[in-house]
Amino acid sequence: MTIFPAFDIAGSALTTDQTWMDAISDNLANVNTVKPFDQPAFQERFIEAQALPSNPGDPVGVGGGVEVASIQYGDSTGVVHSDPGNPMANSQGLIRSPDVDMAQNMTDLIIAQRSYELNLSVVQSASQSYQQAIQINGKS
Amino acid sequence: MSAATTAPVSGVQQAGATAAAAPADQAGDASDSFGNVVVNALQGVQDTQNTANNLAVQAATGNLTDVHNYTIAATEASLQTELTVAVRDRAVDAFNQIMAMQV
Repeated sequence: MTIFPAFDIAGSALTTDQTWMDAISDNLANVNTVKPFDQPAFQERFIEAQALPSNPGDPVGVGGGVEVASIQYGDSTGVVHSDPGNPMANSQGLIRSPDVDMAQNMTDLIIAQRSYELNLSVVQSASQSYQQAIQINGKS
Repeated sequence: MSAATTAPVSGVQQAGATAAAAPADQAGDASDSFGNVVVNALQGVQDTQNTANNLAVQAATGNLTDVHNYTIAATEASLQTELTVAVRDRAVDAFNQIMAMQV
């Protein structure tokens, strides 16, 4: 338990958002990664968020923030298409490209970024509140 | 010191007694004195600052994984220091007012 629980809670959300952005950047980085037909395609990464139980000593009923429970992977089948000119293509000219929805990932990236921003402003507001509490009836 | 000086300060001691209950007593009666409460609080501040310092070293050496972890730890350390300083200032202020009393 710390004396400023809001920081830890907002911090856990920041860590989760950062992991989410990491996963999205991996998806977007591999959007053009093609594989031969007989190999699994790049699997899209998803994070599974999960609420944390409250820390001992913190107010009852208030949780402990959020964490990344696991990383889930998308379909390894990918999208099979014909590209005979590709050096990795098999005898039928087929290759696998990842089944990553670029528009969806870009939208998720904006949500993750806004969520990060939101939790940063929670940290800032909490910091200001605590600071004002310290200055109650102070001389300076 | 006369009884007049200890009476107003007993409120501070009372508050201090509950705060100092958790840490181990080292000097019997003196354990719940205001000084000990401040010392215990300072140890907490020291711990917070050590965390912030470790993260600062990680940031400098490129081992920091989450930027916000450092900034939050630094904010926490500075707030806790401010709080302890505020508590000390109030106590010293109260003491000075009593010392300035006309007898």
